[in-house]
Amino acid sequence: MTEPMPERKPKTETLATSSKKVGEKPRIGVFVCHCGVNIAEVVDVKELTEYVKTLPDVVYAKEVRYACATLGQDKIGKSIKEHNLNRVVVAACSPRLYESTFRKTCAEAGLNPYFFEMANIREFSSWCHTNTPKEATEKAKEIVKIAVAKARLLQPLKEIEVPVTNKALVIGGGIAGINSALDLADMGFKVYLLEKTESIGGHMAQLDKTFPTLDCSICIEGPKMVDVGRHPNIGIISYADLVSVSGFVGNFKVKIRKNPRYVISENCTGCGECKEVCPIEYPNEWDINMGVRKAISVPFEQSVPLLYTINMDHCIECYKCVDACDARQAINFDQKPEEIELTVGAIIVAVGFESYLPYADRLYGYGKYDNVITAMEFERLILAAGPTGGRVIRASDGEKPHSVVFVQCVGSRDVGKYEYCSGFCCMYTLKHTVMLKEKYKDDIQIYVIYTDLRSDFKGYEEFYNRAKKAGVHFIRTTLENRSITEDPKTKNLLVHAETEGGQPVEIEAEMVVLANAAVSVHDAAELAEILNIPIGANGFFVECQPKIRPTETDTPGIFLAGACQGLKDIPYSVSQGSGAAAQAAAVLSKPTWIIEPVVARVNEDLCSGCGVCESVCGYDAVRIEKTDGKELAKVTEGLCRGCGICGATCPAGAITMPLYTEAQVIAQVRAVLEKVK
Amino acid sequence: MPMKIQKTESDNQLVVERIHHAKSYRLTVDRALCAGCELCSLICPRESITVNKQQKKEGQKIQRPVIDVDEEKCQYCGICATICPHGAVQVTIDGENIASVVEKESFPQLIREITADTTKCPTDCTECEEACPLDLIKVTLNPTTKEVAVDIKEEQCPCCGVCEIKCPEGAINVRRIFTGKLEINQEKCPSGCRDCLDVCPITGALYFSEEDGKVHANELFCTYCGVCKIVCPEEGALELSRSTVRHTPVRSGAWNKALEKLTSTAEMTKELRGKGRKRTMDAVQKLLEPRKK
Repeated sequence: MTEPMPERKPKTETLATSSKKVGEKPRIGVFVCHCGVNIAEVVDVKELTEYVKTLPDVVYAKEVRYACATLGQDKIGKSIKEHNLNRVVVAACSPRLYESTFRKTCAEAGLNPYFFEMANIREFSSWCHTNTPKEATEKAKEIVKIAVAKARLLQPLKEIEVPVTNKALVIGGGIAGINSALDLADMGFKVYLLEKTESIGGHMAQLDKTFPTLDCSICIEGPKMVDVGRHPNIGIISYADLVSVSGFVGNFKVKIRKNPRYVISENCTGCGECKEVCPIEYPNEWDINMGVRKAISVPFEQSVPLLYTINMDHCIECYKCVDACDARQAINFDQKPEEIELTVGAIIVAVGFESYLPYADRLYGYGKYDNVITAMEFERLILAAGPTGGRVIRASDGEKPHSVVFVQCVGSRDVGKYEYCSGFCCMYTLKHTVMLKEKYKDDIQIYVIYTDLRSDFKGYEEFYNRAKKAGVHFIRTTLENRSITEDPKTKNLLVHAETEGGQPVEIEAEMVVLANAAVSVHDAAELAEILNIPIGANGFFVECQPKIRPTETDTPGIFLAGACQGLKDIPYSVSQGSGAAAQAAAVLSKPTWIIEPVVARVNEDLCSGCGVCESVCGYDAVRIEKTDGKELAKVTEGLCRGCGICGATCPAGAITMPLYTEAQVIAQVRAVLEKVK
Repeated sequence: MPMKIQKTESDNQLVVERIHHAKSYRLTVDRALCAGCELCSLICPRESITVNKQQKKEGQKIQRPVIDVDEEKCQYCGICATICPHGAVQVTIDGENIASVVEKESFPQLIREITADTTKCPTDCTECEEACPLDLIKVTLNPTTKEVAVDIKEEQCPCCGVCEIKCPEGAINVRRIFTGKLEINQEKCPSGCRDCLDVCPITGALYFSEEDGKVHANELFCTYCGVCKIVCPEEGALELSRSTVRHTPVRSGAWNKALEKLTSTAEMTKELRGKGRKRTMDAVQKLLEPRKK
């Protein structure tokens, strides 16, 4: 028999009981954390604690080794009761890390969680003044004094509950988005999977094989794509763009524009007869424009949904497809873009990445020399379903090359371009070399020009050994001084590089494959703006915390998965897709979601309805509405992010921010200006 | 190799290309053959062809208009190659001469019906060869059999019918591709101007009258290509309209649209109605067939 889990019921504080404490004289307890040595090694914690005891209304002050540890928290809880504390200050680290933990500690001890204030003496003092402990201690005293000044005026607050719509939106139908959608759908939530292109599948569907097992990529992704297509809980919205997102966690209102396919989805059977009669061929982006597709077609055979699309940029309107479609009547040349609105409780962003095309990087001759191609172009060449039927041939003469040089880090690890490592290039290059060797044996010589070869996950190093055993030549050179020139007669290429010792390297090759950098999607900034999530300097979306909250964004209810958060290969995109799904489920599975009560409050007696607040609010949270014949500012609590701009601009001082009231802020300013005794 | 879209131009050729790693598309305009007429630009479904009128230089004859193809817009469908009466446009896919619209039956081909009954030819006559304004006819005599052969480059022939008229034996029969109307409004036609005449590819379709110092039309030879109208400096001085186009049977939206642009909405509707009637007749006949048995 298993032991039942001990029930730990937090005593929830009611406003009624706390309001009693508002009238009471403040009894402040201050806990000074050592943070091991993080704080204590620089700041004189003992001196600080003694100082704190001298502050008015502080009835208790104590040092704690680790305030965040169970022991530390128990101590805080016990002290609240023993000393009848009605305000708590913890002088420790950043509130971003532990504020919510300490609030819970207060609540468990029967105190309203908003009777808590945090003083950051680690980031603001010990960490940045390691060489001047005396001054650091003085600064820490001031920081704590300010916190105490505010704590004295804290008011009890009640958390706000909002209803949750138990549906999710997943943006991007690549392997990460597919996994998020499937996981959520399997948990029983309705999922909308928004895909920009005609089919889900993403980059993985473009690949021939996957490393290190050399599994056929579409063979392992295809079944998942089919599952998505068939899942009763998933609605694929493909060939569509995200227009706008408003609302808040649990209640996002999403506008989507479905682009016209000029094919009626309900009637299209995917038979492909229209494609057979279409006279027009246009560059197939799916094949990196190395091959072509018909003006009415699907990008690839396994497309999900299997729905044909007419590309009106190329169609000559001969209507042959209409004749071929015949009684099915699936073609409609008058289709218009359609805007739809959805309400979802959570959003997962999984928009993936794009490839940098090194046209501008003249040293490599891409776009200039016919036989210089990118890795993805190579992938489409060697793929049996690709434009050459799997024949690796040179563009210049249609012949199979007898020597191929793979050049690593083109655009990546380049301070002038993309400083970061694209992460998966080393491994896909190994894959390409092994595939070529296995296909053409000794009929092909393969060289890899690399600077550092990264093969640091399960089975990857073994795969590197496999490539070495297969006879691939690995040549370590520096990242600088690499260039490619062409012999105009033979169209062969000369690859020039230099070893770390300064020895020149020169290899003649019949084909060169560039491991070009992977970059963020071109519309990442636009998406970030729509979703109101931060974007990093290199264009990837910024997670809440890089180590422990990699799937969350700063916007509650919006999660990240896959390469749009940072480049990663398939297994990690899959895991992150599932991880984001689990986090979204944590929102969707609740009937209501609790949001912090730090939202603007309007004093209706002071408000003149001037509307300045409405014009400055970046979240559509404040609006002027007519109530009882009077125009007044109204706050939608769910939308308000507590930034305080409305409060700062209100000419009548009618808007206050709980936890940042005017009285509290002025008290803090006064505390700063006072001399530390 | 990344896709390349390029245009190369020389005095006698315009080439636009779309080259993929494993497939290439090319459109070539032979400037020597091109009359600078408007037909291709009128019916290009992607509006990628423009006709540029040339500036007339002092004391010189006006030059033929020059066509230009937008390499970004061209889809290599081959409609222009199909319609060109002079065979000046060629579309190739991987080096092969292919008009995909014809192959997929989404556009018709012009019907050039030229017959030469060489049995009527005297062994010493080369009238037709000399008469052809485009040098497309070659008459040869087999010295042993004494048989005359008349070779006509049909694919470049606009079917003007000059040879038919000039043949003293009535051996040649030419059916026109286009029918229509060409009228010169003599009141508006500027005296002494011969621009239309200078660009007309068919000798004799327009002629200059010394009497009134104006150009007159001879519709007997006109192919209704329309280059005269492009260069005419006086609005309304030259009126040209087409009414029918002889083409292989086709049912296609692209053709209907092309026909409307080449002729007029009324003429297009007429052809559509005719096709509709034929279809109805075919359908009725199909229904009746089993009863016959």
